Amino acid sequence: MERVRERDAAAFEGLYDAYHRLVYGIALRVLADTAAAEDVTQAVFLKLWSSPQSYVRGNFGGWISRVTRNRALDVLRGRTAHSGAELPEAVAVDGAMEEAVLANLDAVEVRAALRRLPEDQREPIELGFFSGITHQEIAARTGTPLGTIKTRIRSGLRKLRADLRGTVAL
Amino acid sequence: MNAHDELLDLVAVYALGALPAQDAAHVREHMAICPECSREYARLQPAVDAVARSAEACTDPRNGAVPSELLKARIMKTVRAEAAPRPASAKSRTLWPAYAVAAAAMLIAMFATVLSMMMQSDLRQSREEVSSLTHQLAGEKKYEAAQRIMIADLMSTDAKRYPVSDGEVVRKGERLYIAMHTMPMPPKGRVYQSWTLAAGAKAMTPGPTFMPDKAGIAIVHVPQSAATLAAVAVSVEPEGGSKSPTSKPEFVVKLI
Ligand SMILES: [Zn+2]
Repeated sequence: MERVRERDAAAFEGLYDAYHRLVYGIALRVLADTAAAEDVTQAVFLKLWSSPQSYVRGNFGGWISRVTRNRALDVLRGRTAHSGAELPEAVAVDGAMEEAVLANLDAVEVRAALRRLPEDQREPIELGFFSGITHQEIAARTGTPLGTIKTRIRSGLRKLRADLRGTVAL
Repeated sequence: MNAHDELLDLVAVYALGALPAQDAAHVREHMAICPECSREYARLQPAVDAVARSAEACTDPRNGAVPSELLKARIMKTVRAEAAPRPASAKSRTLWPAYAVAAAAMLIAMFATVLSMMMQSDLRQSREEVSSLTHQLAGEKKYEAAQRIMIADLMSTDAKRYPVSDGEVVRKGERLYIAMHTMPMPPKGRVYQSWTLAAGAKAMTPGPTFMPDKAGIAIVHVPQSAATLAAVAVSVEPEGGSKSPTSKPEFVVKLI
């Protein structure tokens, strides 16, 4: 990343090779359109190239995932009336050693862990992340009380985290 | 459940990115003064990143959609144009994306074949070597120009691109190309054949047959003007091609 800041095209290409499938995959999941997903991929990487200072620190894969998800949702919402939920792009806290374990996850592993979640927790999590609807809309769409949705999202995320770290539920 | 537990739930929804902007602002304000909630946020954010990771596209195009190589070529073209100049010691000049190099090499091979065919027919028609050489030179210039146009079209950022499973169909103005980059070899004795459907027509018009190279790259310049076409398709056909498709098309791209 340092070298990308110094306008090193080869370093940028390395980042592209390592992360383009993640970026494209998220955009495709959100937009369900290969051409639109490629447009988002291009926009995310060219943004990274033109303003590398937007990435500060922390897990790069996590950061670029959040940027991609927000960008894809902007496209989905038509870029105009932008009142929808937004992912915080900044990293939560630094120095958390254990986060490194979660930083290098394999997509196959994660998909398996998601499948192990109870359906009523996985559904609101995936809806919230990939369709960009708010927790109120999730509650309405699934016919579940709002409080229950919030609790399921939190329990599901905690379970997922514990599962991926190979530990007993928190 | 007490009020603070409810806040912790909201922190989870915030981490997922499913909180309306106004509520998100409240959560941020609260986290700034509440270590428990900011700790919870730090714990849940990697789980949300994991949800994102689950969508990662696979490496094998047979298992699902993969981003096209042309996309990388497009992005790297912009990046290289803006990159810091390399130190003088580093020999490499502007690098062509691997895809473009492969495409250019293949085009050169293709034109060489066309040229030799032209030459042979010239020799048959006229025994005069001079005349044939003149034709050859004129031909070379013409094809060199065509080759440059083709590469420029394929790399163009404002070309319209229709992704298909092993490549894409590229339209630049009236020019249309089938650009495959991970195309498997057809079964023995078979070739790929391109097809076009003229606007308003009921039947497909047969187009050139082709084979991918070892790397799976194949580029076909569709002879008709893109403006006159409703669709372009590719199917697997017996060697020599067919008059109408005999197999289910590998893909059909609607142009209008
Ligand atoms: Zn709190």
